[in-house]
Amino acid sequence: MPTFIEFITQLLNGVVVGLLYAIIALGFMIITGVMGVLNFSHGSLFAWGAYLALTLYPIVGFWPALVISPILVGFIGIILELSVRKTYGKDPLYGLLLTFGAAMALEEIIRMIWGSIGRSIPAPDVVRGPIMIGLIGYSKYRLFLAGLAVLLIILTWVLLEKTYYGAIIKAGAADSEMVMALGINLNRLRAFVFALGASFAGIAGIIAAPLWSIKPTMGVEAIMPAFVVVVIGGMGSFWGTVIGGLMVGIVTAVTVMFMPRASLIVMYILMALVLVIRPRGLMGEKSILEK
Amino acid sequence: MKKNISRAILHPTLWVFVFFAVFPFIFPLVGGYTYLAAEVLIWSIYTMGFNILLGYTGLPSFGHGAFFGIGGFVLGNILLRVIDQIWVGILAGTFAGAFFGAIVGLFVAKKRGIYFALLTIAFGQMFWFVAWSWRSVTGGEDGLPGIDRLPVGIPGLFSVDTSNILSFYYFIYFIFVIAVILIWIVVHSPFGKVIQAIRYNEIRVKCIGYNTALYKWTSFVISASFAGLAGTLYALLRYAVFSDVMHWSQSGNVLLIVVLGGGMVNFFGPIVGTMVFLILRDLFSTVTEHWYLIYGLMIMAIVVFIPEGILGFLEKDRGIAMFPKYVINWVRGRKWKS
Repeated sequence: MPTFIEFITQLLNGVVVGLLYAIIALGFMIITGVMGVLNFSHGSLFAWGAYLALTLYPIVGFWPALVISPILVGFIGIILELSVRKTYGKDPLYGLLLTFGAAMALEEIIRMIWGSIGRSIPAPDVVRGPIMIGLIGYSKYRLFLAGLAVLLIILTWVLLEKTYYGAIIKAGAADSEMVMALGINLNRLRAFVFALGASFAGIAGIIAAPLWSIKPTMGVEAIMPAFVVVVIGGMGSFWGTVIGGLMVGIVTAVTVMFMPRASLIVMYILMALVLVIRPRGLMGEKSILEK
Repeated sequence: MKKNISRAILHPTLWVFVFFAVFPFIFPLVGGYTYLAAEVLIWSIYTMGFNILLGYTGLPSFGHGAFFGIGGFVLGNILLRVIDQIWVGILAGTFAGAFFGAIVGLFVAKKRGIYFALLTIAFGQMFWFVAWSWRSVTGGEDGLPGIDRLPVGIPGLFSVDTSNILSFYYFIYFIFVIAVILIWIVVHSPFGKVIQAIRYNEIRVKCIGYNTALYKWTSFVISASFAGLAGTLYALLRYAVFSDVMHWSQSGNVLLIVVLGGGMVNFFGPIVGTMVFLILRDLFSTVTEHWYLIYGLMIMAIVVFIPEGILGFLEKDRGIAMFPKYVINWVRGRKWKS
């Protein structure tokens, strides 16, 4: 049995990873909401964020890379949005397939440029090493990651709930035709939203890089928790997604202590349980995506 | 009477059966080989069954690889550990596909569209993780090798040696014919009409008084059992089962095959899609190691340029593509409807 301190440490790890999942899932959900498209390439964008940071890190250092890399990923997002444009108004199946193809292509380009071997980047000096919280020594970098994630979540909430643009994004998710009729440039809105969601994936990729190893399949590995988090939280619910992310992170971390072999499966069991009790997820409402 | 016979002879499924009967002899002439031909048949069973769900009911499942893999693992475990009878393994694998399809179906039958896709991916991945980590049953990463293709037949009457690839091809062909006839019957039955109606307007069908969730669930189970059946045959073909067929990217391939061939608009779309897909994969993977880049870009191009698929594209009145249609019209002496 793990000691009390190990337990607390692992619980903290769960919270940190859960916040990371929440960031990935939020970006994914913003895109899905407005586009009506399940963005399969979200995981690949996450991987691109990490790989771009890998290249930028030796040139400009960690902090500038943290800013530049998501912007570049945002541009990849805009390119994707341009190709997805053809599928608007058709069966959602086509949007699904298109991003599925894009995910494969993006992952293969990573293999071509950077190779298939796993890499890693070190945490920046300021946040390297452990810090003492009471009796527990905890990784400074993980705390930094958690802080950044919380900051991003708050910023997104402010953007979506308190600003003019947030109102347009949410209106676009509910009834895009009406938004267009009101004289808002829907194409520009969609490009902006896709870029925003993509750069979320990019940031998550970079801050996850010192934690996990960087490899071409990291995208596929990251997108599954994001899907599950969105299902648990409920499609279209901001706080549902955050809570879902934390739940998946904590449950996985606790399972690692007691039953390491089941740790990859436990989030699906959690999902099935939530769906039995609440078929639309914890805080999900009926949305256009069910049509 | 005469009309009935001529209709039976001109029945499109019959043409398909004739084509696949001679396929292993034509295929080598254009650079193919029997193993690939057998693979085409197996994947055709898989995609035809899948199309009941996708093309006819309109539900995009990204998790059918799970049932395909479960079929294979059940067959493998039965042949290796319980009884060395291929039929038992195939039947058990098919039932296992149907059984797990029924369970997952309970969770997803009320959903549609994107939400349906999302749930099926998640459940499919769950099965994949189980297969991947349950080493004692599935062999984990190494898979389950050593499955033998034993002779099949009725004891005392006759038996067919399936270890030869050509005779195994015809063994699959036999199952393929039954499967395609069954699927034809299903989609042209009253049940088939209801699921097609659900695809176009579920709410209206519900208002007429049909239990749409039950219909969707049934459609899901049928397609899952065909996936299980194909999985057992694929295990026999490869002499082994691996969990990689259960991964969601493999499930996505099935979806792509159906759309590529034109399964959304034509009964035979999945077969055309399977042939084109497997042959292209075979060609490109020998030429370049970055096949996935070409593949990914190809998917994007198909979605953008020919979303109705190959058969859908040919069905439109476009120049040379009209020629076979004229011939068929002339032979039948009546307006051709698919």
